[in-house]
Order: sequence, then C-alpha cells, then structure tokens
Amino acid sequence: MTNVLKAVNIHKSYRMGKVKLSVLRGASLSVAAGELLAVTGSSGCGKSTLLHILGALDPPDNGTVQLNGDDVFSLPVKRRDALRNSEVGFVFQFYHLLPELNVLENVLMPLMVGTSIGAWSSSRRRCREQAREIIERVGLGERLRHRPNELSGGERQRVAIARAMVTRPRLLLADEPTGNLDAKMGREILDLLRSLNEAGQTIVMVTHDPGIAQLADRRVRLADGKVE
Amino acid sequence: MYKLFLTLRYLTRKWIVIFAVLSVWMCVAMVLIVFSVMDGFLDNIKEHSRGLLSDIVVDNASLQGFPYYDEFSKYLMDKSGDEVKVVTPVIYNYGIMREPDTNFTKPVRVVAIKLNDYCRVNTFRDSLYYDKYYPGTTTLGPFEVPLAAIPGGRPVLPPEYEKLFADYVAKHPKDESLKELKPSPFSPDGVGRFVQTFDETPGYADAEALPGIIIGTDVVYTRNADGSYNRRLFRGCKVILTILPLTIKGTIAEDPVSLVMRHVDDSRTRVYEIDSMCVYIDFDLAQKMLSMGPQERVDGTKTPPRTSQLLVQLADGVDIKEARARVQDLWNEFLGTVADRASPEDLNLLRLVTIETWEERQIQFIAAVEKEKVLVTLLFVIISFVAVLLISVIFYMVVLQKTRDIGIIKSLGATRGGVAAIFLMYGAAVGVVGGILGVLTGTVFVHYINQIQDLLAQLHPNLRVWSPDVYTFDRIPNVVKTHVIGAVFLAAVVTSTAGAVVPAIKAALVWPIQSLRYE
Repeated sequence: MTNVLKAVNIHKSYRMGKVKLSVLRGASLSVAAGELLAVTGSSGCGKSTLLHILGALDPPDNGTVQLNGDDVFSLPVKRRDALRNSEVGFVFQFYHLLPELNVLENVLMPLMVGTSIGAWSSSRRRCREQAREIIERVGLGERLRHRPNELSGGERQRVAIARAMVTRPRLLLADEPTGNLDAKMGREILDLLRSLNEAGQTIVMVTHDPGIAQLADRRVRLADGKVE
Repeated sequence: MYKLFLTLRYLTRKWIVIFAVLSVWMCVAMVLIVFSVMDGFLDNIKEHSRGLLSDIVVDNASLQGFPYYDEFSKYLMDKSGDEVKVVTPVIYNYGIMREPDTNFTKPVRVVAIKLNDYCRVNTFRDSLYYDKYYPGTTTLGPFEVPLAAIPGGRPVLPPEYEKLFADYVAKHPKDESLKELKPSPFSPDGVGRFVQTFDETPGYADAEALPGIIIGTDVVYTRNADGSYNRRLFRGCKVILTILPLTIKGTIAEDPVSLVMRHVDDSRTRVYEIDSMCVYIDFDLAQKMLSMGPQERVDGTKTPPRTSQLLVQLADGVDIKEARARVQDLWNEFLGTVADRASPEDLNLLRLVTIETWEERQIQFIAAVEKEKVLVTLLFVIISFVAVLLISVIFYMVVLQKTRDIGIIKSLGATRGGVAAIFLMYGAAVGVVGGILGVLTGTVFVHYINQIQDLLAQLHPNLRVWSPDVYTFDRIPNVVKTHVIGAVFLAAVVTSTAGAVVPAIKAALVWPIQSLRYE
C-alpha cells in the first residue's frame, strides 16, 4: 500500500519564557492510503503539535514531511497553501467554525478558498451541491442556515468534519475530535469517522483516550518526543 | 472568492465597523464642507476683485500717475487691431468726504472714472444700487435731483423713475433683492431713499445740477443682520469731497480742493476693502481738480495729461497672458516714440509703469485667501488623521478579535495575500461606505447651509456664524464642485485602506497555528 504521508525525524521546540521546551525529538511516522491511524500519548506529550506539523499548519525545527511524495515545507508558500486546501482536511477539538457564517457557508469555505472570483460564478452551483451532499451525509441537512451558536457540540463537530471533507482531501487530520463532547456525541462522531474511513478516507486521529484509539486500524504512541 | 465574501460578511456582521464608518463619514463630510465653503469664498473674492479691474492693467502705482496715457491708448488701439476692445483711464487719489447736513467726515479713496467706458471693461455697473432698478439714471456728470411726492400717503417718484422701476419688476419678478423693499414714509414704492416734496406731483429739484459721486456702500452705511443696508443718504443729497493735488514731482501743489457733489448712487462690489473705502467721481473733473490735466508751461507749451491707470479690456477669447506680453512690447515701443519729447519728470513716471493681468495685480489679495483656504483645509485634514488612526485601531482590534478566524481560514488553505486582502478590502469598503455617506451628507449640508444657518439664527441670533453685517458676502458659498467630491472620496478610500495595512500585514504573516492558539 502506498504511503499518503511520511514524516521523518521531526523536531519541534517552544520557548516558554526563558525555558526552551523540546516537544518533538525526532518523531517519524508513515500513513498508508485508506488507513485510520490513532496517535496516542499522555496529555502535553506533543500529539497536537505533531498533527499540526503533519498538516503544514506549523513548521518543524527539523525534519521533513512528505504528502503524496511532496516535501511540504520545501514547497513555495502558495503551493503549500494550495496543498493544504485540496489535500488535507482538519477537524479540531474545538471545531473552529467561523461564527459569522451558517452551516452551508462554513462548509463552502474551503471550496471558496480554492476558487477564484472569476471561476466562482461557473462553479457556484456545483460547489453548493457538493457542500449540501456532505452536510446531508453528516446528518445536518435540516440545519443548513443555522449558525454555529445555534448548534450543539456534536453538531458543530459534524459541520467541522463536513468542512474538512468537502474538498475530498486525501488526508483527514482529526485532533481530539471527541475531546469536547459527551460520550454519546463522541460515539456518533467516531462512528462518522469510521464510516468515512470505510469509504476509503485516510485519517490520522490524535487522542489521549485508549478506548477511542481502539477503533483505529493502527495505533502509535508518542512518548518523549518520539513515535513508538 | 472567499476574500470578497468574508469582507462583505464582516462588514455587515461586525458592529465595531460602524465606528470606523462613522469616523470616515464625519471626516469626509467635514472636509467637504470646509473645503467647499472656503473654495466658494475664494471664488467669490476672485470674481468680485476682478470686478473693478480689466483684463490688463497699466499703471505706475504713483499718486502723480503717468503722462502720455491718451497717446498710448490710441497707439494700443491702432496697433492691436481687434484684440483690444476698450481702453479707459482711471485716476486714484485720497480725500475726505463730508456730509454737510450732518458734518460726518470720512477718509476715502477717490476713484475717477469715465463711467460708461469703465462699465464696459468690468462689472462695475452691476455693483450700482439705484442704476439697477432705475437704469440709466446714474451719471457722474451734472445730476438732477428727483423729488418724491406723497399724494396718497405713499411717496411717488417722477413718472420716468416709476416706469423704469415697473419695467424692472416686470423683467425680474423673482429678484430676491426686491424683498428688501419696505415701504415707509421715507421710501417710495421703488427702491432707495429720495428727497420728498410737499407738492402733489413728483418732479425734480430746482437746485443746482452738481456733479455726481458714487459712494461705496460700506463707506457710510451700516449693514443689518439680514444683509440689508441702512441707507441714510437721500439720492441727490449734497456731499463735499476734498482732495489734495500733487505736482508732477509729488509735492503738494496748492491748497486742498473741495467740490460740492450730489450722491447719485451706491456701489457694492462685495469686496469690503473696496466698498468701505472707495468713492467714484468723473475722470475729467478729477483730472482738473488734481492738476493732472494739461498745464501750461513757461514756454507756452502744455504738459501732457496724466492718469493713474489704464484699464485694457480684451476681445472675447483672447488669451490674457499672451496679450499682456504683446501690450508690454507695444508699451516698450511707445516709450521709444516719446523719449525725445518727455521731460525728465515725465520719463521718471513712465519708467515706473508696469503692465499686469488682473490676477497678477490682485495676487497678494487672492493669495492671502488661497493660503487661508489651504490652512483651514489642512487643519481639518490633520483632524482627519485622527480618524485614520481610529480606523487603524479599530481594524487592529478586529484583527485581534478575528485572530482565530484568520487561523481557521489559513488552515483551509487561504494564502497570506488572501488574508491580507480581506482586511485591505475591508478597509476600502469602510472608506467607500463612509465616503458615500460623507459625500451625501456634506453635499446636502453645503447646499442647504444658508437655510441651516437661518434656522439656527431663529433659535438664537448668536448662532448666526456668517453674519451679513460682518462679511461682505450675504450668503455662505453653497456650491460643491464635482472634482472636490471626487478628490475627497478618493482620499477617504485611500486613507481607510491605509489604516488597514498594518493590521492586514500582521494577519497575513502569522502561521496558522499561532492564530488558532490565540487566546
């Protein structure tokens, strides 16, 4: 099976006042196409940092990340942005929806980002259909015009998943997707991720909960800044 | 696409943006109002200061004037073909005006003119009060005093005057100045104040027909708050003018010369410096009084007559600056023709002659107002910088508030340029919205500025900021020029966009995760 993602010898440290905190110390990881990988580890071990680096949201101090064979951090900034738009979908623990936009607009946003103003008029109908379809799929077809503050936590996370999936990315990165939800809601979200994976979606999920990690095809543990 | 979408969404969903729009709105309206009023004021000054000059002015700025003006006038007319329409001499001097009935005296600037020619080179006739309503009755020559009779309790003027006034009213039914007419025991149905007779029928006084004098309105009258004048002089009343003649060398020639004259009209050019100083008398009379006419020399020859100034009016469409250069050349040629016969004193006066366009002549006066306009506008532009700063602070706050959104948008693949563009477009949109509102408010305000002032004055007289008894112009200039609107609007959009530059750069440069982690 081909690797969608390959991270090699990732180092990352942060400065906390006068203290330099090394979070990742040579973490390496490969993700095969269609795989559901769970990254576990204790709180504060650098799981989210690793996920952000894998998704090109944060640069590593050292090391390389290859997405479909491209060295993400060697690419020109514009190419990297385009890659982030079309190849990677993010699901955050705190949803990170745009509060001014309704469900449909939030889900449409990645398509808008990837389309120029000139091309939008011709692709608008198709994009809206694409967004509606994914919203229906996550079970929010009746809530298209609702704003995030009118939705429950689970519904918000479904919108976040729909937004992450709307561009049909090769890789879905989920950072503690159930961390902010009650058990029932969390289960629903996991079921949704599982169904997406069964449909062929490659997913890397970060969680501190071993129970959730059990649902993954493969589990790796992050400890002392390295992947075990 | 997301840039435009988010810009519009932030514009309509963010309450904080209202403060930025309000700042731009107020600043644009403020600058537009100030600039338009000052610009209108300057235009009025230019228009009216041109009123007493001609296209080209030839003079030597000396009280003795300069000789050979009559010869030069003919020379100029002959040589310039159709380019020059009229050339007329003017003498300037100073004197004392006295009203014998009240012994009121006032120092005045005497302007001696050939009335008909003078009215052809400038708009002096438009400044005359009586001549407007009774055209053709104003003369600087011997003036017959009209008498108003009171047959039915209301004064009635001689039939010729009544007809002229009736014709005027018929031709100008909407003339605002007619509202000024307030029938009173001292006023006829027409305009102004006339000597009254106890006879049943109006007519003319048997008194001596003395030369006429036109008096600047602010020389003797005071203005009321509504802009009208207290015309205390009767038309045809006696006025004594005393002037001091000078020799060609500039020494006092003899005793002061006094002349009894009749007040025939009032002139209001709307330039206070002129209207509060000038009286107008006949050129030939003044030349004689001031010993500037031909004087017999010891050898029996005569001195050339002198004038203070020659006003040259060009034909329509002639370029004034180019014509001035040609008049200068002709003057230089002319000097060559008189050099052998002119006395040394004459030559001294001739050498002082300068030839200027009317704008060059009034440059100091106009430049002062222009500088005032620039200064006041600059002050308001400086105040407007506070608005730019405010916009910048508001955008900075918006960026801080939207830091997490910026991270989200970037995590979805938005480029640095795209994120910066959202905030720059946001700034420009604030400028456009505020600018449009400001232009509309400013234009409407300037258009109705006089009505607004009248309304305020009704609430309290002290709220009348542009009082006609203080300013020469009755009304506040109320025209907004299209190019001014364009410039102010453009400046609003540019400065609003500039206010968003720093926050936009800040938003663009951070890594997505830094924004997402922002608390």
